[in-house]
Amino acid sequence: MIPAGRHPGRGRKHATGRGALGRAVTTFTLPPELEADAPPPTRDGVRLLVARSRRPLQHARFTDLPAALEPGDLLVVNTSDTEPAAVDGHRADGRPVVLHVSGPTPRAGTFLVELRTPDGRRVRDGRAGEVVHLPHGVDVELITGSRIWEARIAVEGDVRTWLAAVGRPIRYAHLRGHPPLAEYRTVFAEPTGEFASAESPSAGRPFTPAVLDGLRLRGVGIARLVLHTGVSSLEEGEVPLPERYRVPAATAVAVNATRAAGGRIVAVGTTVTRALETVADPGGTVHAGAGWTDLVLGPDRPARVVDGLVTGWHEPQASHLLLLESVAGARLVGRAYVAAVERGYRWHEFGDSCLLLPVRTAAGRTP
Amino acid sequence: MTNDTAIVTGAGQGFGLTLTAALAARGTTVIACARNADRLHAATSGLAGVTALPGDVTDPAFREQLVWATRGRLDLLVHNAGELGPSPLPRLERYPLDTLRAVLETTVLAPLALTQLALPLLRAAAAPTVVTLSSDAAVEAYEGWGGYGLAKAALDQMAAVLAVEEPHLRVHAFDPGDMRTAMHQRAFPGEDISDRPEPITVVPAFLRLLDDRPASGRHRAADLLVGL
Repeated sequence: MIPAGRHPGRGRKHATGRGALGRAVTTFTLPPELEADAPPPTRDGVRLLVARSRRPLQHARFTDLPAALEPGDLLVVNTSDTEPAAVDGHRADGRPVVLHVSGPTPRAGTFLVELRTPDGRRVRDGRAGEVVHLPHGVDVELITGSRIWEARIAVEGDVRTWLAAVGRPIRYAHLRGHPPLAEYRTVFAEPTGEFASAESPSAGRPFTPAVLDGLRLRGVGIARLVLHTGVSSLEEGEVPLPERYRVPAATAVAVNATRAAGGRIVAVGTTVTRALETVADPGGTVHAGAGWTDLVLGPDRPARVVDGLVTGWHEPQASHLLLLESVAGARLVGRAYVAAVERGYRWHEFGDSCLLLPVRTAAGRTP
Repeated sequence: MTNDTAIVTGAGQGFGLTLTAALAARGTTVIACARNADRLHAATSGLAGVTALPGDVTDPAFREQLVWATRGRLDLLVHNAGELGPSPLPRLERYPLDTLRAVLETTVLAPLALTQLALPLLRAAAAPTVVTLSSDAAVEAYEGWGGYGLAKAALDQMAAVLAVEEPHLRVHAFDPGDMRTAMHQRAFPGEDISDRPEPITVVPAFLRLLDDRPASGRHRAADLLVGL
Protein backbone atom coordinates (compact mmCIF):
# COMPACT_ATOMS: atom_id res chain seq x y z
CA MET A 1 0.00 0.00 0.00
CA ILE A 2 1.28 3.41 -0.94
CA PRO A 3 -0.36 6.11 1.15
CA ALA A 4 -1.44 9.35 -0.40
CA GLY A 5 1.44 11.41 -1.60
CA ARG A 6 2.16 14.08 -4.11
CA HIS A 7 4.66 12.29 -6.33
CA PRO A 8 3.56 8.80 -7.17
CA GLY A 9 6.08 6.52 -8.76
CA ARG A 10 3.76 5.13 -11.34
CA GLY A 11 2.45 6.77 -14.44
CA ARG A 12 3.98 9.25 -16.79
CA LYS A 13 5.11 12.78 -16.33
CA HIS A 14 2.45 15.37 -15.63
CA ALA A 15 0.49 15.93 -18.81
CA THR A 16 0.60 19.45 -20.16
CA GLY A 17 -1.04 21.40 -22.93
CA ARG A 18 -4.58 21.98 -24.02
CA GLY A 19 -7.09 19.44 -22.80
CA ALA A 20 -4.67 17.86 -20.38
CA LEU A 21 -5.91 16.91 -16.98
CA GLY A 22 -4.39 17.80 -13.65
CA ARG A 23 -3.17 15.10 -11.33
CA ALA A 24 -5.10 13.86 -8.34
CA VAL A 25 -3.35 14.07 -4.99
CA THR A 26 -4.65 10.65 -4.04
CA THR A 27 -2.57 7.78 -5.35
CA PHE A 28 -2.60 4.11 -4.52
CA THR A 29 -1.78 0.72 -5.94
CA LEU A 30 -4.69 -1.65 -6.31
CA PRO A 31 -3.82 -5.22 -5.31
CA PRO A 32 -5.44 -7.58 -7.87
CA GLU A 33 -7.19 -9.57 -5.14
CA LEU A 34 -9.29 -6.53 -4.30
CA GLU A 35 -10.91 -6.45 -7.72
CA ALA A 36 -14.50 -7.69 -7.49
CA ASP A 37 -14.63 -10.33 -10.22
CA ALA A 38 -18.37 -11.13 -10.03
CA PRO A 39 -21.61 -9.64 -8.70
CA PRO A 40 -22.01 -10.01 -4.90
CA PRO A 41 -24.70 -12.38 -3.55
CA THR A 42 -26.93 -9.43 -2.63
CA ARG A 43 -26.69 -5.89 -3.91
CA ASP A 44 -27.10 -4.13 -0.59
CA GLY A 45 -24.89 -6.62 1.25
CA VAL A 46 -21.72 -4.92 0.05
CA ARG A 47 -19.57 -2.96 2.49
CA LEU A 48 -19.90 0.78 2.97
CA LEU A 49 -17.02 2.87 4.22
CA VAL A 50 -18.36 6.06 5.79
CA ALA A 51 -15.73 8.78 5.61
CA ARG A 52 -16.39 12.09 7.36
CA SER A 53 -13.70 14.73 7.71
CA ARG A 54 -12.14 14.95 11.17
CA ARG A 55 -14.04 11.87 12.31
CA PRO A 56 -13.00 8.22 12.56
CA LEU A 57 -13.83 6.14 9.52
CA GLN A 58 -16.76 3.76 9.94
CA HIS A 59 -16.79 0.33 8.36
CA ALA A 60 -20.42 -0.49 7.73
CA ARG A 61 -22.75 -2.27 5.31
CA PHE A 62 -24.63 -0.60 2.50
CA THR A 63 -27.85 -1.22 4.41
CA ASP A 64 -26.48 1.25 6.99
CA LEU A 65 -26.57 4.11 4.48
CA PRO A 66 -29.82 5.64 5.83
CA ALA A 67 -28.38 5.84 9.35
CA ALA A 68 -25.23 7.51 8.03
CA LEU A 69 -27.26 10.38 6.56
CA GLU A 70 -29.41 12.98 8.28
CA PRO A 71 -33.10 13.79 7.89
CA GLY A 72 -33.36 16.56 5.33
CA ASP A 73 -30.44 15.33 3.23
CA LEU A 74 -31.13 14.74 -0.46
CA LEU A 75 -29.67 11.87 -2.46
CA VAL A 76 -29.52 12.53 -6.19
CA VAL A 77 -29.45 9.46 -8.42
CA ASN A 78 -28.84 8.74 -12.11
CA THR A 79 -31.70 6.99 -13.92
CA SER A 80 -29.65 6.24 -17.04
CA ASP A 81 -30.11 2.69 -18.25
CA THR A 82 -27.23 0.47 -19.41
CA GLU A 83 -26.90 -0.60 -23.05
CA PRO A 84 -25.56 -3.96 -24.26
CA ALA A 85 -22.84 -1.91 -25.92
CA ALA A 86 -20.20 -4.58 -26.72
CA VAL A 87 -20.35 -6.45 -30.05
CA ASP A 88 -18.08 -9.12 -31.55
CA GLY A 89 -16.80 -8.47 -35.06
CA HIS A 90 -13.88 -8.77 -37.46
CA ARG A 91 -11.45 -6.23 -38.78
CA ALA A 92 -10.80 -5.85 -42.51
CA ASP A 93 -7.87 -8.29 -42.30
CA GLY A 94 -10.00 -10.90 -40.58
CA ARG A 95 -8.71 -10.47 -37.04
CA PRO A 96 -11.46 -10.80 -34.44
CA VAL A 97 -12.26 -7.62 -32.51
CA VAL A 98 -14.75 -6.41 -29.91
CA LEU A 99 -16.46 -3.09 -30.60
CA HIS A 100 -17.51 -0.98 -27.61
CA VAL A 101 -20.11 1.64 -28.51
CA SER A 102 -19.58 4.57 -26.16
CA GLY A 103 -22.58 6.52 -27.43
CA PRO A 104 -23.63 9.14 -29.93
CA THR A 105 -21.49 12.19 -30.63
CA PRO A 106 -22.80 15.77 -30.63
CA ARG A 107 -22.66 15.45 -34.43
CA ALA A 108 -25.79 13.69 -35.60
CA GLY A 109 -25.36 10.25 -37.11
CA THR A 110 -21.98 9.28 -35.72
CA PHE A 111 -20.96 7.35 -32.63
CA LEU A 112 -17.88 7.10 -30.46
CA VAL A 113 -16.52 3.56 -30.43
CA GLU A 114 -13.53 1.77 -29.00
CA LEU A 115 -11.91 -1.36 -30.39
CA ARG A 116 -10.72 -4.10 -28.05
CA THR A 117 -9.10 -7.45 -28.63
CA PRO A 118 -11.18 -10.49 -27.65
CA ASP A 119 -9.06 -10.81 -24.47
CA GLY A 120 -9.76 -7.20 -23.52
CA ARG A 121 -6.64 -5.32 -24.59
CA ARG A 122 -6.80 -1.95 -26.29
CA VAL A 123 -6.47 -1.92 -30.07
CA ARG A 124 -4.04 0.82 -31.01
CA ASP A 125 -3.50 0.24 -34.73
CA GLY A 126 -6.92 1.24 -36.05
CA ARG A 127 -6.81 3.55 -39.06
CA ALA A 128 -9.14 6.22 -40.39
CA GLY A 129 -11.30 4.71 -43.10
CA GLU A 130 -10.98 1.19 -41.69
CA VAL A 131 -14.19 -0.81 -41.77
CA VAL A 132 -15.10 -3.29 -39.03
CA HIS A 133 -17.59 -6.04 -39.89
CA LEU A 134 -20.24 -6.83 -37.31
CA PRO A 135 -23.24 -9.19 -37.02
CA HIS A 136 -26.33 -8.78 -39.21
CA GLY A 137 -24.14 -7.42 -42.00
CA VAL A 138 -23.52 -4.14 -40.19
CA ASP A 139 -20.30 -2.32 -41.06
CA VAL A 140 -18.69 0.33 -38.89
CA GLU A 141 -16.36 2.84 -40.51
CA LEU A 142 -13.76 4.58 -38.35
CA ILE A 143 -13.69 8.28 -39.24
CA THR A 144 -11.39 10.15 -36.88
CA GLY A 145 -9.66 9.34 -33.61
CA SER A 146 -6.83 7.22 -32.36
CA ARG A 147 -7.90 4.80 -29.67
CA ILE A 148 -11.44 6.04 -29.27
CA TRP A 149 -12.94 6.72 -32.69
CA GLU A 150 -15.75 8.71 -34.11
CA ALA A 151 -17.42 6.17 -36.38
CA ARG A 152 -20.36 5.64 -38.65
CA ILE A 153 -22.49 2.58 -37.81
CA ALA A 154 -24.24 1.50 -41.03
CA VAL A 155 -27.37 0.07 -39.48
CA GLU A 156 -30.90 0.51 -40.72
CA GLY A 157 -33.09 2.02 -38.03
CA ASP A 158 -32.06 2.42 -34.40
CA VAL A 159 -28.60 1.33 -33.27
CA ARG A 160 -30.19 0.29 -29.96
CA THR A 161 -32.48 -2.21 -31.66
CA TRP A 162 -29.49 -3.77 -33.35
CA LEU A 163 -27.47 -3.82 -30.12
CA ALA A 164 -30.38 -5.43 -28.29
CA ALA A 165 -30.09 -8.32 -30.76
CA VAL A 166 -26.31 -8.68 -30.99
CA GLY A 167 -24.74 -6.84 -28.05
CA ARG A 168 -23.79 -7.63 -24.48
CA PRO A 169 -22.61 -5.48 -21.58
CA ILE A 170 -19.13 -4.05 -21.84
CA ARG A 171 -16.85 -5.97 -19.51
CA TYR A 172 -13.22 -5.69 -18.60
CA ALA A 173 -10.60 -8.26 -17.73
CA HIS A 174 -11.14 -8.18 -13.95
CA LEU A 175 -14.45 -10.04 -14.31
CA ARG A 176 -14.53 -13.83 -14.19
CA GLY A 177 -17.72 -14.51 -16.14
CA HIS A 178 -20.20 -12.61 -18.26
CA PRO A 179 -22.88 -11.21 -15.93
CA PRO A 180 -26.16 -10.56 -17.76
CA LEU A 181 -27.35 -7.03 -18.46
CA ALA A 182 -29.81 -7.20 -15.55
CA GLU A 183 -26.85 -7.31 -13.15
CA TYR A 184 -25.60 -3.99 -14.49
CA ARG A 185 -28.89 -2.12 -14.41
CA THR A 186 -29.56 -0.14 -11.25
CA VAL A 187 -32.87 -0.03 -9.42
CA PHE A 188 -33.21 3.53 -10.74
CA ALA A 189 -32.75 2.67 -14.43
CA GLU A 190 -35.45 4.07 -16.68
CA PRO A 191 -35.29 3.35 -20.41
CA THR A 192 -35.96 6.56 -22.34
CA GLY A 193 -35.63 5.56 -25.99
CA GLU A 194 -32.34 7.40 -26.36
CA PHE A 195 -28.98 5.67 -26.33
CA ALA A 196 -28.31 5.27 -22.59
CA SER A 197 -25.03 4.53 -20.80
CA ALA A 198 -22.34 2.42 -22.41
CA GLU A 199 -21.35 1.31 -18.92
CA SER A 200 -23.51 1.09 -15.83
CA PRO A 201 -23.71 4.13 -13.54
CA SER A 202 -22.61 1.64 -10.94
CA ALA A 203 -22.61 3.79 -7.80
CA GLY A 204 -26.37 3.21 -7.76
CA ARG A 205 -26.03 -0.54 -8.01
CA PRO A 206 -26.13 -1.40 -4.26
CA PHE A 207 -29.47 0.37 -3.83
CA THR A 208 -32.43 -1.96 -3.25
CA PRO A 209 -36.09 -1.34 -2.45
CA ALA A 210 -35.27 -2.06 1.21
CA VAL A 211 -32.54 0.59 1.27
CA LEU A 212 -34.89 3.07 -0.40
CA ASP A 213 -37.55 2.37 2.23
CA GLY A 214 -34.95 2.95 4.92
CA LEU A 215 -34.00 6.29 3.38
CA ARG A 216 -37.64 7.42 3.29
CA LEU A 217 -38.06 6.38 6.89
CA ARG A 218 -34.95 8.34 7.80
CA GLY A 219 -36.34 11.44 6.09
CA VAL A 220 -33.74 11.42 3.34
CA GLY A 221 -35.03 12.51 -0.06
CA ILE A 222 -34.31 11.03 -3.46
CA ALA A 223 -34.20 13.11 -6.64
CA ARG A 224 -33.44 11.93 -10.13
CA LEU A 225 -31.46 13.10 -13.11
CA VAL A 226 -30.00 11.54 -16.22
CA LEU A 227 -26.41 11.40 -17.34
CA HIS A 228 -25.60 8.89 -20.06
CA THR A 229 -22.04 7.82 -19.51
CA GLY A 230 -19.62 6.66 -22.17
CA VAL A 231 -16.86 4.09 -21.95
CA SER A 232 -14.73 4.39 -18.83
CA SER A 233 -11.49 3.21 -20.38
CA LEU A 234 -9.75 6.55 -20.32
CA GLU A 235 -6.01 6.56 -19.93
CA GLU A 236 -4.14 8.69 -17.45
CA GLY A 237 -4.30 12.36 -18.36
CA GLU A 238 -7.14 11.90 -20.85
CA VAL A 239 -9.96 14.36 -20.43
CA PRO A 240 -13.39 12.78 -19.75
CA LEU A 241 -15.61 12.49 -22.83
CA PRO A 242 -18.50 14.89 -23.32
CA GLU A 243 -21.69 13.28 -22.02
CA ARG A 244 -25.44 13.91 -22.34
CA TYR A 245 -27.34 15.00 -19.25
CA ARG A 246 -30.81 16.11 -18.24
CA VAL A 247 -31.67 17.71 -14.89
CA PRO A 248 -35.46 18.01 -14.51
CA ALA A 249 -37.07 21.07 -12.97
CA ALA A 250 -38.36 19.06 -10.00
CA THR A 251 -34.82 17.97 -9.17
CA ALA A 252 -33.47 21.52 -9.40
CA VAL A 253 -36.24 22.68 -7.07
CA ALA A 254 -35.54 19.88 -4.60
CA VAL A 255 -31.79 20.57 -4.60
CA ASN A 256 -32.20 24.29 -4.05
CA ALA A 257 -34.83 23.78 -1.35
CA THR A 258 -32.59 21.28 0.43
CA ARG A 259 -29.68 23.68 0.52
CA ALA A 260 -31.89 26.54 1.65
CA ALA A 261 -33.08 24.37 4.54
CA GLY A 262 -29.55 23.40 5.53
CA GLY A 263 -29.65 19.85 4.14
CA ARG A 264 -26.86 18.24 2.20
CA ILE A 265 -26.79 17.26 -1.47
CA VAL A 266 -25.33 13.76 -1.72
CA ALA A 267 -24.62 12.65 -5.27
CA VAL A 268 -24.81 8.95 -6.06
CA GLY A 269 -21.80 8.61 -8.30
CA THR A 270 -19.46 10.74 -10.32
CA THR A 271 -22.03 10.90 -13.13
CA VAL A 272 -24.56 12.65 -10.91
CA THR A 273 -21.87 14.99 -9.64
CA ARG A 274 -20.90 15.96 -13.18
CA ALA A 275 -24.51 16.63 -14.17
CA LEU A 276 -25.39 18.63 -11.05
CA GLU A 277 -22.24 20.72 -11.20
CA THR A 278 -22.89 21.39 -14.88
CA VAL A 279 -26.16 23.13 -14.03
CA ALA A 280 -24.92 24.82 -10.82
CA ASP A 281 -24.24 28.53 -11.09
CA PRO A 282 -21.31 30.09 -9.17
CA GLY A 283 -23.57 30.70 -6.17
CA GLY A 284 -24.44 27.00 -5.96
CA THR A 285 -27.99 27.39 -7.25
CA VAL A 286 -29.03 24.62 -9.62
CA HIS A 287 -31.05 25.23 -12.79
CA ALA A 288 -32.96 22.65 -14.81
CA GLY A 289 -31.24 21.88 -18.06
CA ALA A 290 -30.24 19.34 -20.65
CA GLY A 291 -27.53 18.95 -23.25
CA TRP A 292 -23.90 17.91 -23.51
CA THR A 293 -21.44 18.54 -20.72
CA ASP A 294 -17.68 18.67 -20.99
CA LEU A 295 -17.26 19.82 -17.41
CA VAL A 296 -14.17 18.55 -15.64
CA LEU A 297 -14.05 19.10 -11.91
CA GLY A 298 -10.72 19.66 -10.29
CA PRO A 299 -8.65 22.23 -8.43
CA ASP A 300 -9.61 24.89 -10.99
CA ARG A 301 -13.28 24.10 -10.80
CA PRO A 302 -14.27 22.85 -7.34
CA ALA A 303 -17.74 21.50 -6.61
CA ARG A 304 -20.36 24.17 -5.99
CA VAL A 305 -23.42 22.23 -4.98
CA VAL A 306 -22.53 18.61 -4.22
CA ASP A 307 -21.80 18.15 -0.51
CA GLY A 308 -21.14 14.44 -0.44
CA LEU A 309 -20.86 11.34 -2.58
CA VAL A 310 -21.92 7.72 -2.58
CA THR A 311 -19.39 6.08 -4.85
CA GLY A 312 -17.75 2.83 -5.75
CA TRP A 313 -14.01 2.36 -5.54
CA HIS A 314 -12.27 3.73 -8.56
CA GLU A 315 -9.10 2.79 -10.32
CA PRO A 316 -6.08 4.97 -9.71
CA GLN A 317 -7.04 7.12 -12.67
CA ALA A 318 -6.93 10.86 -12.61
CA SER A 319 -10.36 12.09 -13.65
CA HIS A 320 -12.44 10.16 -11.14
CA LEU A 321 -10.14 10.90 -8.24
CA LEU A 322 -9.93 14.57 -9.18
CA LEU A 323 -13.69 14.70 -9.11
CA LEU A 324 -13.85 13.01 -5.69
CA GLU A 325 -11.22 15.40 -4.35
CA SER A 326 -13.11 18.39 -5.72
CA VAL A 327 -16.10 17.38 -3.60
CA ALA A 328 -14.54 15.80 -0.53
CA GLY A 329 -11.04 17.23 -0.43
CA ALA A 330 -7.82 15.35 -1.04
CA ARG A 331 -7.24 14.54 2.63
CA LEU A 332 -10.54 12.77 3.14
CA VAL A 333 -10.35 10.91 -0.17
CA GLY A 334 -6.80 9.86 0.65
CA ARG A 335 -7.80 8.56 4.10
CA ALA A 336 -10.68 6.61 2.59
CA TYR A 337 -8.57 4.97 -0.11
CA VAL A 338 -5.76 4.06 2.31
CA ALA A 339 -8.27 2.41 4.62
CA ALA A 340 -10.11 0.68 1.79
CA VAL A 341 -6.94 -1.01 0.58
CA GLU A 342 -5.86 -1.93 4.12
CA ARG A 343 -9.26 -3.34 4.99
CA GLY A 344 -9.71 -5.25 1.76
CA TYR A 345 -12.63 -3.37 0.27
CA ARG A 346 -13.55 -4.61 -3.19
CA TRP A 347 -13.14 -2.49 -6.29
CA HIS A 348 -15.06 -1.87 -9.54
CA GLU A 349 -18.69 -2.05 -10.64
CA PHE A 350 -19.61 -5.06 -8.49
CA GLY A 351 -17.52 -4.04 -5.51
CA ASP A 352 -18.02 -2.20 -2.24
CA SER A 353 -19.20 1.35 -1.69
CA CYS A 354 -18.06 4.54 0.01
CA LEU A 355 -19.90 7.50 1.48
CA LEU A 356 -17.78 10.65 1.47
CA LEU A 357 -19.12 13.39 3.75
CA PRO A 358 -16.79 16.36 4.00
CA VAL A 359 -17.66 18.98 6.59
CA ARG A 360 -18.99 22.19 5.16
CA THR A 361 -17.45 25.25 6.73
CA ALA A 362 -18.05 28.94 6.26
CA ALA A 363 -14.68 29.17 4.56
CA GLY A 364 -15.53 26.38 2.15
CA ARG A 365 -14.72 22.73 2.12
CA THR A 366 -12.09 21.19 4.32
CA PRO A 367 -8.84 20.48 2.52
CA MET B 1 -53.95 18.96 19.40
CA THR B 2 -51.85 16.30 17.76
CA ASN B 3 -48.25 16.07 16.59
CA ASP B 4 -49.22 13.94 13.63
CA THR B 5 -48.00 14.38 10.10
CA ALA B 6 -50.41 13.92 7.21
CA ILE B 7 -50.30 13.95 3.44
CA VAL B 8 -53.44 15.19 1.69
CA THR B 9 -53.58 15.00 -2.11
CA GLY B 10 -55.87 17.22 -4.13
CA ALA B 11 -55.70 19.85 -1.41
CA GLY B 12 -56.04 22.96 -3.56
CA GLN B 13 -59.81 23.29 -3.29
CA GLY B 14 -62.99 21.52 -2.26
CA PHE B 15 -62.96 18.78 0.34
CA GLY B 16 -59.16 18.37 0.23
CA LEU B 17 -58.59 21.99 1.16
CA THR B 18 -61.27 22.00 3.85
CA LEU B 19 -59.82 18.84 5.37
CA THR B 20 -56.30 20.28 5.24
CA ALA B 21 -57.44 23.36 7.16
CA ALA B 22 -59.24 21.23 9.75
CA LEU B 23 -56.25 18.95 10.28
CA ALA B 24 -53.90 21.93 10.58
CA ALA B 25 -56.24 23.48 13.14
CA ARG B 26 -55.82 20.31 15.23
CA GLY B 27 -52.04 20.74 15.16
CA THR B 28 -51.37 18.17 12.49
CA THR B 29 -48.51 18.94 10.13
CA VAL B 30 -50.01 18.65 6.66
CA ILE B 31 -48.14 18.12 3.42
CA ALA B 32 -50.75 19.45 0.99
CA CYS B 33 -50.41 18.84 -2.72
CA ALA B 34 -52.35 19.85 -5.81
CA ARG B 35 -51.62 20.32 -9.48
CA ASN B 36 -52.42 24.04 -9.66
CA ALA B 37 -49.53 25.73 -7.85
CA ASP B 38 -51.03 29.23 -7.70
CA ARG B 39 -54.31 28.00 -6.33
CA LEU B 40 -52.62 25.72 -3.79
CA HIS B 41 -50.33 28.45 -2.49
CA ALA B 42 -53.15 30.98 -2.31
CA ALA B 43 -55.44 28.51 -0.54
CA THR B 44 -52.93 27.33 2.07
CA SER B 45 -50.83 30.45 2.63
CA GLY B 46 -52.62 31.40 5.86
CA LEU B 47 -52.59 27.90 7.33
CA ALA B 48 -49.95 27.24 10.00
CA GLY B 49 -48.29 23.85 9.80
CA VAL B 50 -49.19 23.29 6.16
CA THR B 51 -46.47 22.64 3.60
CA ALA B 52 -47.82 23.34 0.12
CA LEU B 53 -46.20 21.13 -2.50
CA PRO B 54 -47.55 21.69 -6.00
CA GLY B 55 -47.29 18.74 -8.36
CA ASP B 56 -49.00 15.83 -10.03
CA VAL B 57 -49.39 12.60 -8.06
CA THR B 58 -49.09 10.62 -11.29
CA ASP B 59 -45.43 11.75 -11.49
CA PRO B 60 -43.16 9.26 -9.67
CA ALA B 61 -40.58 11.92 -8.84
CA PHE B 62 -43.27 14.09 -7.30
CA ARG B 63 -44.52 11.21 -5.15
CA GLU B 64 -40.96 10.75 -3.91
CA GLN B 65 -40.86 14.45 -3.03
CA LEU B 66 -44.15 14.20 -1.15
CA VAL B 67 -42.94 11.37 1.03
CA TRP B 68 -39.63 13.10 1.65
CA ALA B 69 -41.43 16.26 2.77
CA THR B 70 -42.66 14.30 5.81
CA ARG B 71 -39.05 14.00 6.99
CA GLY B 72 -39.68 10.37 7.74
CA ARG B 73 -42.81 10.65 9.85
CA LEU B 74 -46.27 9.91 8.51
CA ASP B 75 -49.43 9.13 10.50
CA LEU B 76 -52.17 9.86 7.99
CA LEU B 77 -52.29 9.49 4.22
CA VAL B 78 -55.38 10.86 2.47
CA HIS B 79 -55.87 9.94 -1.18
CA ASN B 80 -58.26 12.72 -2.02
CA ALA B 81 -57.03 13.59 -5.53
CA GLY B 82 -59.25 12.04 -8.16
CA GLU B 83 -60.18 12.55 -11.76
CA LEU B 84 -63.82 12.84 -12.77
CA GLY B 85 -63.27 12.32 -16.48
CA PRO B 86 -65.01 14.17 -19.30
CA SER B 87 -67.76 16.67 -18.59
CA PRO B 88 -70.55 16.07 -19.32
CA LEU B 89 -70.11 12.47 -18.21
CA PRO B 90 -70.17 10.12 -21.22
CA ARG B 91 -71.99 6.80 -21.42
CA LEU B 92 -69.73 3.74 -21.48
CA GLU B 93 -70.77 3.12 -25.09
CA ARG B 94 -68.65 6.06 -26.17
CA TYR B 95 -66.28 6.45 -23.22
CA PRO B 96 -62.89 7.59 -24.61
CA LEU B 97 -60.41 4.93 -23.51
CA ASP B 98 -57.44 7.26 -23.31
CA THR B 99 -59.41 9.43 -20.91
CA LEU B 100 -60.33 6.38 -18.87
CA ARG B 101 -56.66 5.46 -18.63
CA ALA B 102 -55.95 8.93 -17.27
CA VAL B 103 -58.83 8.60 -14.79
CA LEU B 104 -57.41 5.28 -13.56
CA GLU B 105 -53.89 6.67 -13.44
CA THR B 106 -54.90 9.51 -11.13
CA THR B 107 -57.61 7.79 -9.13
CA VAL B 108 -56.17 4.28 -8.64
CA LEU B 109 -52.56 3.84 -9.71
CA ALA B 110 -51.17 7.04 -8.20
CA PRO B 111 -52.70 6.32 -4.75
CA LEU B 112 -51.32 2.79 -4.84
CA ALA B 113 -47.87 4.01 -5.87
CA LEU B 114 -47.86 6.68 -3.18
CA THR B 115 -49.00 4.13 -0.60
CA GLN B 116 -46.15 1.84 -1.61
CA LEU B 117 -43.62 4.60 -1.01
CA ALA B 118 -45.22 5.64 2.27
CA LEU B 119 -45.69 2.18 3.80
CA PRO B 120 -42.38 2.05 5.69
CA LEU B 121 -43.28 5.35 7.36
CA LEU B 122 -46.83 4.29 8.11
CA ARG B 123 -45.71 0.97 9.57
CA ALA B 124 -43.42 2.87 11.92
CA ALA B 125 -46.20 5.18 13.13
CA ALA B 126 -48.10 4.51 16.37
CA ALA B 127 -51.59 4.83 14.91
CA PRO B 128 -51.32 5.00 11.14
CA THR B 129 -54.33 5.64 8.94
CA VAL B 130 -54.84 5.58 5.18
CA VAL B 131 -58.03 7.05 3.75
CA THR B 132 -59.18 6.79 0.15
CA LEU B 133 -61.98 9.05 -1.03
CA SER B 134 -64.90 7.00 -2.29
CA SER B 135 -68.26 7.80 -3.85
CA ASP B 136 -71.64 6.20 -4.03
CA ALA B 137 -70.81 5.82 -7.72
CA ALA B 138 -68.40 3.08 -6.60
CA VAL B 139 -71.25 0.88 -5.41
CA GLU B 140 -74.34 2.15 -7.29
CA ALA B 141 -74.85 2.11 -11.05
CA TYR B 142 -75.59 5.60 -12.37
CA GLU B 143 -75.81 6.37 -16.05
CA GLY B 144 -72.71 8.28 -17.19
CA TRP B 145 -70.77 7.48 -14.03
CA GLY B 146 -69.18 4.30 -15.42
CA GLY B 147 -65.64 5.61 -15.77
CA TYR B 148 -65.47 7.43 -12.46
CA GLY B 149 -67.44 4.69 -10.73
CA LEU B 150 -65.24 1.83 -11.85
CA ALA B 151 -62.16 3.77 -10.81
CA LYS B 152 -63.61 4.48 -7.36
CA ALA B 153 -64.71 0.83 -7.05
CA ALA B 154 -61.13 -0.21 -7.79
CA LEU B 155 -59.85 2.25 -5.20
CA ASP B 156 -62.33 0.89 -2.63
CA GLN B 157 -61.02 -2.60 -3.27
CA MET B 158 -57.43 -1.43 -3.01
CA ALA B 159 -58.23 -0.02 0.43
CA ALA B 160 -59.98 -3.23 1.46
CA VAL B 161 -57.10 -5.47 0.43
CA LEU B 162 -54.50 -3.15 1.92
CA ALA B 163 -56.36 -3.36 5.23
CA VAL B 164 -56.05 -7.14 5.16
CA GLU B 165 -52.41 -7.09 4.19
CA GLU B 166 -51.43 -4.39 6.70
CA PRO B 167 -53.29 -5.14 9.93
CA HIS B 168 -51.29 -2.48 11.82
CA LEU B 169 -52.89 0.19 9.63
CA ARG B 170 -56.44 1.50 9.63
CA VAL B 171 -57.45 1.71 5.98
CA HIS B 172 -60.75 3.38 5.21
CA ALA B 173 -62.68 4.08 2.04
CA PHE B 174 -64.52 7.25 2.98
CA ASP B 175 -67.64 8.23 1.04
CA PRO B 176 -68.35 11.89 1.76
CA GLY B 177 -71.62 11.96 -0.18
CA ASP B 178 -72.49 14.73 -2.63
CA MET B 179 -70.79 18.03 -1.87
CA ARG B 180 -70.87 21.51 -3.36
CA THR B 181 -67.48 21.31 -5.09
CA ALA B 182 -65.97 22.15 -8.45
CA MET B 183 -65.79 18.46 -9.30
CA HIS B 184 -69.44 17.95 -8.52
CA GLN B 185 -70.31 20.95 -10.67
CA ARG B 186 -68.35 19.42 -13.56
CA ALA B 187 -70.45 16.29 -13.23
CA PHE B 188 -73.58 18.41 -13.61
CA PRO B 189 -72.51 21.21 -15.94
CA GLY B 190 -74.89 24.15 -15.99
CA GLU B 191 -77.08 22.74 -13.24
CA ASP B 192 -77.74 24.29 -9.88
CA ILE B 193 -75.97 22.27 -7.14
CA SER B 194 -76.51 24.79 -4.36
CA ASP B 195 -78.68 22.26 -2.52
CA ARG B 196 -75.59 20.07 -1.94
CA PRO B 197 -73.88 20.49 1.44
CA GLU B 198 -70.59 22.36 1.76
CA PRO B 199 -67.46 20.21 2.29
CA ILE B 200 -67.03 21.70 5.79
CA THR B 201 -70.14 19.81 6.94
CA VAL B 202 -68.46 16.51 6.05
CA VAL B 203 -65.16 17.11 7.84
CA PRO B 204 -66.46 16.10 11.32
CA ALA B 205 -67.34 12.68 9.89
CA PHE B 206 -63.82 12.29 8.57
CA LEU B 207 -62.29 13.29 11.91
CA ARG B 208 -64.27 10.54 13.64
CA LEU B 209 -62.24 8.05 11.63
CA LEU B 210 -59.14 9.45 13.33
CA ASP B 211 -60.55 9.95 16.80
CA ASP B 212 -62.66 6.80 17.18
CA ARG B 213 -60.40 4.58 15.06
CA PRO B 214 -63.16 2.26 13.86
CA ALA B 215 -62.19 -0.98 12.14
CA SER B 216 -60.89 -0.66 8.61
CA GLY B 217 -63.68 -0.55 6.06
CA ARG B 218 -65.91 1.51 3.84
CA HIS B 219 -67.60 4.35 5.72
CA ARG B 220 -70.24 6.82 4.59
CA ALA B 221 -70.05 10.31 6.07
CA ALA B 222 -73.77 10.24 6.78
CA ASP B 223 -73.38 7.14 8.97
CA LEU B 224 -70.36 8.53 10.83
CA LEU B 225 -72.24 11.75 11.58
CA VAL B 226 -75.06 9.90 13.34
CA GLY B 227 -74.90 10.78 17.03
CA LEU B 228 -72.55 13.68 16.57
